[in-house]
Amino acid sequence: MGVENLAELAKLIIRSRIADPSFVFSFFSQLPDSNYSKLKYIISSSVTEACNNSVLLLGPRGCGKTAVLELVLEDLLKEHPDMISVVKLNGLLHSDNNCALKEIARQVCLEHQLQFSKMASFDENTQFLLSILRECGLAHKTIVFVLEEFDLFTEGKQRLLYSLLDALQSVSSQAVVVGVSCRLDADQLLEKRVRSRFSHRKLLFLPSSSEDFQRLVEHILLLPMDSRLPNDFRAAFNEKLLNILADEEFKGVIDQLCYSDSTVSQLLRFLFCAVCHMDLSSGSLSIENFKSALPSIQRQPKLEALKDCSVLELYLLVCMKRLEVKELESCNFNSIMKEYKSIHDSFKTSDYYARNVCLRAFEHLLQRGLISFQDNRGQGQSAEFRPVKLLISWHELQQGLKSHRSCPAILNKLMDREG
Amino acid sequence: MPAFAARRQSLSSDPTYETRVAITPRKSRLRSDSDAAIGSPLRKSPRLCKEGGPNSSPKIDVIRKCLKSSLNLSGSPQEKRLYENFVERQTWDPREETQLRAVNEALHVSTAPTNVVCRENEQNRILDFCKKCVKEEKAGSLYVCGCPGTGKTLSMKKVQVMLVDWANKEGVQPPDILSINCTSLANMSEIFSKILGQNHSGKNSSRSTSSLQQLHNLYSQQQPGMKMILVIADELDYLITKDRAVLHDLFMLTTMPFSRCILLGVANAIDLADRFIPKLQSLNCKPMVITFCAYSKDQIINILQERLRALPYTVFQPQALELCARKVAAASGDMRKALAVCRSAIEMLIGDSVLSSLDETQDQQKPAANGTMSNQVRIDHVAAALSKVYKSPVVDIIISLPQHQQIILCSAVKLFRGGKKDTTLGELNKYYVDVCKSTSIPPVGILELSSMCRVLDDQGILKLGQSREDKLRRVTLKVDGADIVFALQGIRFFRNCLQ
Repeated sequence: MGVENLAELAKLIIRSRIADPSFVFSFFSQLPDSNYSKLKYIISSSVTEACNNSVLLLGPRGCGKTAVLELVLEDLLKEHPDMISVVKLNGLLHSDNNCALKEIARQVCLEHQLQFSKMASFDENTQFLLSILRECGLAHKTIVFVLEEFDLFTEGKQRLLYSLLDALQSVSSQAVVVGVSCRLDADQLLEKRVRSRFSHRKLLFLPSSSEDFQRLVEHILLLPMDSRLPNDFRAAFNEKLLNILADEEFKGVIDQLCYSDSTVSQLLRFLFCAVCHMDLSSGSLSIENFKSALPSIQRQPKLEALKDCSVLELYLLVCMKRLEVKELESCNFNSIMKEYKSIHDSFKTSDYYARNVCLRAFEHLLQRGLISFQDNRGQGQSAEFRPVKLLISWHELQQGLKSHRSCPAILNKLMDREG
Repeated sequence: MPAFAARRQSLSSDPTYETRVAITPRKSRLRSDSDAAIGSPLRKSPRLCKEGGPNSSPKIDVIRKCLKSSLNLSGSPQEKRLYENFVERQTWDPREETQLRAVNEALHVSTAPTNVVCRENEQNRILDFCKKCVKEEKAGSLYVCGCPGTGKTLSMKKVQVMLVDWANKEGVQPPDILSINCTSLANMSEIFSKILGQNHSGKNSSRSTSSLQQLHNLYSQQQPGMKMILVIADELDYLITKDRAVLHDLFMLTTMPFSRCILLGVANAIDLADRFIPKLQSLNCKPMVITFCAYSKDQIINILQERLRALPYTVFQPQALELCARKVAAASGDMRKALAVCRSAIEMLIGDSVLSSLDETQDQQKPAANGTMSNQVRIDHVAAALSKVYKSPVVDIIISLPQHQQIILCSAVKLFRGGKKDTTLGELNKYYVDVCKSTSIPPVGILELSSMCRVLDDQGILKLGQSREDKLRRVTLKVDGADIVFALQGIRFFRNCLQ
């Protein structure tokens, strides 16, 4: 097989790994003191010891709470088949008590092949829930209630939470309640009596240290032994990859990535992008792939819009900025033209265009989204008289001017003086 | 197996077991049955374990304790007896499954204790009230209040059973008992149909009159020979509506001339009766109020020891239990928390012993004497468990935030130092850019800033308001500024910045 085909195959393998959350988070299952092992211990001890438990998983979005929970449940279902049944609720859909009970009844009926009636009343659903808990307690089956967006369940009277957690207080039931939330103070939102019944176990999903990150990247990108690729190709690929990962530049790129968002999902997006940039003819990843992936993750749309602006448009933007500095928050095209003229008069610049040319440039800026009208009133008026505002900040404008390929020096000087 | 269940029943002299006869022994029978089927080692409760092993049989232990206490009749201080009771028992091995399971079961919230200690006073008061009502065949109402976790529902269950026993013993007709949790009612007036349904099973055919009307009719006529009904309404404040009609009507039922209803209401609010049912006061039939105070430190220690008494080995060092009791009593007096802390401390101990056994296997030279080192839960375990329960994770979260979000928080702290409480996103942006400039980190644009603020809002650290324009959205800090300063003090830049 040619190098290109092998590289294509390698790309496919790596991309399918990145897109599979259970593979990614199985890395965390190997760490001894990770959240995976703690969660597994809590749920498995409830299953084997037949005691009830409740736990809350907290962490920012994209840090892997649901993925780790799914992994734990999958592993436990393999270890103890037929002893666990799972009911999943979501705070966005089922925060109302009636809705939630109906959904619980539906899922339990589905799992145990009972007949579910949509017409069942609230009372009947409650009775059904209690009797199911009792039956499962007698049969030693643990029910795991997974409540996603837990903080949305705490709005209103919290009746569902109360009834679920109260059911955990009785001897005859065997259940675990797992709440998943991105609000760190989710347990403070509970009412006192619900909080008293909750067992105060919280698992925090904090972003991992840089060494762990490094190991996670290796875990994902290194080609496995059992792939269909020939050994020498694989060895060469892995060796080049390890060299890149040990490089200082790579560490700098990862640091840059983590400055704004250090969750696992951000890292996965970055790696996916980098792998997509892989040059097939060279047959392996290079540091350039990672560097080019970074700006596509951390996009700055305004700067990209600025790059394509003409010089006249830059002049107009700088004029608007100067007007803003002079405490004139809202200006319209006429005032911008006045300012433009004053700059031309004081600095004797060579770029001076006629009014209708400037109007064209002004409309172009409106279309690009760098400026916009203040409000939607006065749609009948022409664009010259309506007040406009800037949609780009001082610093972004400065940065954009600096990186513009043909920005006149006078503009830079004007910006620097004010800034 | 039947001997198993019978033995268990004979051990417990508590009448609560009678009501649970249908449930508990069947469960324990099933457990050992299923275990025998699976083939795992037979899981007998160590209470009834007859084989030798590390635990002696409980009977011998009880005899030993009695001898010991009879020998110590010479006025030794309570503490010394406390310590001696601990010392003379065996130590346990946390790695052994059966023992661990027994301990966890003894400390689980759902296990009702055999003797309910520290609430005898309140239970007796409620029981006397009920006895009086039943004997005189008069109606009455009682309101039980207290913080969560103070043993209200537990005591009510006990009182129920004691009342039925007493009625049978005295030859008085025992009342019907209706125990409802008001959260399970679909709508408020269902409670009346439940009371009615209990009284006259099958006579709720006439839909033209509501259940409340029917009850009114029933109770306004003399009905000889009708049974009393004891209504225990848990979580009474779920019945509070805007016009407080339902609660009112419920308590008014007991004031009717020929009412046969004894009402025991349970809730958290101390002044529920005063605030929500003022009319009753004017009619001079305010319900009697019994307050379940939060547990004190001694009570908590008492209860925990009572639970652990059945086990033939010491699990906790006495100082550890005391630390737990002190902290929980100072915080809320909630018994559930104390039990959760104890179980958490046991898990810490297990984690420790797992690590130490890992060390042992790695380091062959160390003798295996570490097993007996201390398998009791020590103060440091309890302290770690307490900090997990009571500490908020805010500081850890802030330390692990990405850099730009930390800078945002730092600039927010600086902004709000002057006494302002909230600001706009545009103002925050200005401060943020200033802070970034002072360290030559390139600041991100306002769009990215706004999305980072939204992430912080999701996590509950900031609060972002709504506005038509992005720049005008109001931003407030939900975390204490001092917490942020404390969390960021490890980084020199922030330390200087927040001087």
